[in-house]
Amino acid sequence: MTELTTTGRRVRVLATVAGLLLLLAGTFWGQDDDFPFGPFRMYSTAPDPNGAAKDTRVEGVDVTGAVVPITEANSGIRRAEIEGQQAAYEADPSRLSRIAEAYAEHTPSAPALREVRIVIRWHLVKHSRPTGTYTDEVVADWVRP
Amino acid sequence: MIRRWLFEPVPRGRVAAFRTLVYLFVALDLVIFTPWVRSHANTPGELYEPLLIGRLLHLPTPGPLLVWGIFWTLLALSLAAATGRAPRALGWTVFLLYFEWMIIAMSYGKVDHDRIGLLVALAALPTAGRARHGDPERTESGGWALRVTQIAVICTYFLAALAKLRFGGLDWLTSSVLAQAIIRRGTDLADAIAVVPGLLILAQFGIIAFELLSPVVFIIPQRWRNAMVAFFYSFHVITFSTITISFAPHLVAMTSFLALEKVRPIHWLRSRKRAMNSTT
Repeated sequence: MTELTTTGRRVRVLATVAGLLLLLAGTFWGQDDDFPFGPFRMYSTAPDPNGAAKDTRVEGVDVTGAVVPITEANSGIRRAEIEGQQAAYEADPSRLSRIAEAYAEHTPSAPALREVRIVIRWHLVKHSRPTGTYTDEVVADWVRP
Repeated sequence: MIRRWLFEPVPRGRVAAFRTLVYLFVALDLVIFTPWVRSHANTPGELYEPLLIGRLLHLPTPGPLLVWGIFWTLLALSLAAATGRAPRALGWTVFLLYFEWMIIAMSYGKVDHDRIGLLVALAALPTAGRARHGDPERTESGGWALRVTQIAVICTYFLAALAKLRFGGLDWLTSSVLAQAIIRRGTDLADAIAVVPGLLILAQFGIIAFELLSPVVFIIPQRWRNAMVAFFYSFHVITFSTITISFAPHLVAMTSFLALEKVRPIHWLRSRKRAMNSTT
């Protein structure tokens, strides 16, 4: 068997303890910004069992008038990334022009977009179960000037 | 006693197998599992929101040169590292490049927590020393590398439960969190499950219970440990078949619990070929 030297052990114990302490601190006081030591917060919120569930989508309207869903495949931007920056898009809808830009870059053969909007579909939930009814709300809208 | 546990020796063959698996996964992750990172090569720079670590290290805003440079270098080096050669030099380089790759991935408004186990494995493997496939000699440095990966895997569950209690509180148990997840990304199977009264709430109690109890895996006997790891895997089969969340990097890190040295596909193929040759 190959054994470690005393120093080898010490360094490893130290690294283990430091890593654990950082992860614990991140769990109790950290934010996403502290990656990789931030809290493991995917699905950690407690939405109202009788409220409305949020389903966000991003859609564009191209120069022919067709409505195009903006996806990771045609824009290179993930839905969750747009949701993560939603407040910034609401405060400054012209930021959505970047999505039109990214779409043009990733899907060069498609007609250009003249409008991009973030739409939230609010699904009604009762007793923690989806009811199948919903309403749509546009939270940010940019039209090419 | 904790020291003996932390450095419990494992056969070198296990380290070799884990190493090959982890580095092959890195290559697959680049190409198949996390393909969207590449698309940040031409995401407008204004959408880049650097994480704390990116600001501290003054990492550059990703562009085509950086993203494609890392992609091709990492792809080549991870495949080289999978052979087990130059474990230290290749191992550290792959770790640093993959870490930067992940920083890029998480710097556009969404941070995932499915790969802390993989990152720890990548950081620990370069310290595990040389290891040949099939070598039964035991090693303490290899034992530590596997142990800290296991700890990170279990932290992913246990600390996720604490995060739920921090952000959602006890209300999380009776909230509509799973209903929301199903509405957003549910499969047909999930839609069928969602309509059963009380089932999603029951599942929420189950998730918190299993996440809080997950550290038990370290104190139960080996036979039960394998069963518990099998249960963890089955949990991910269910989450994948209902809300299409794969947690693939975590699943690879979790193989650190298994006697991987017993799985030797290349050896089997060779001996089969030899057997066939000797009969002809």
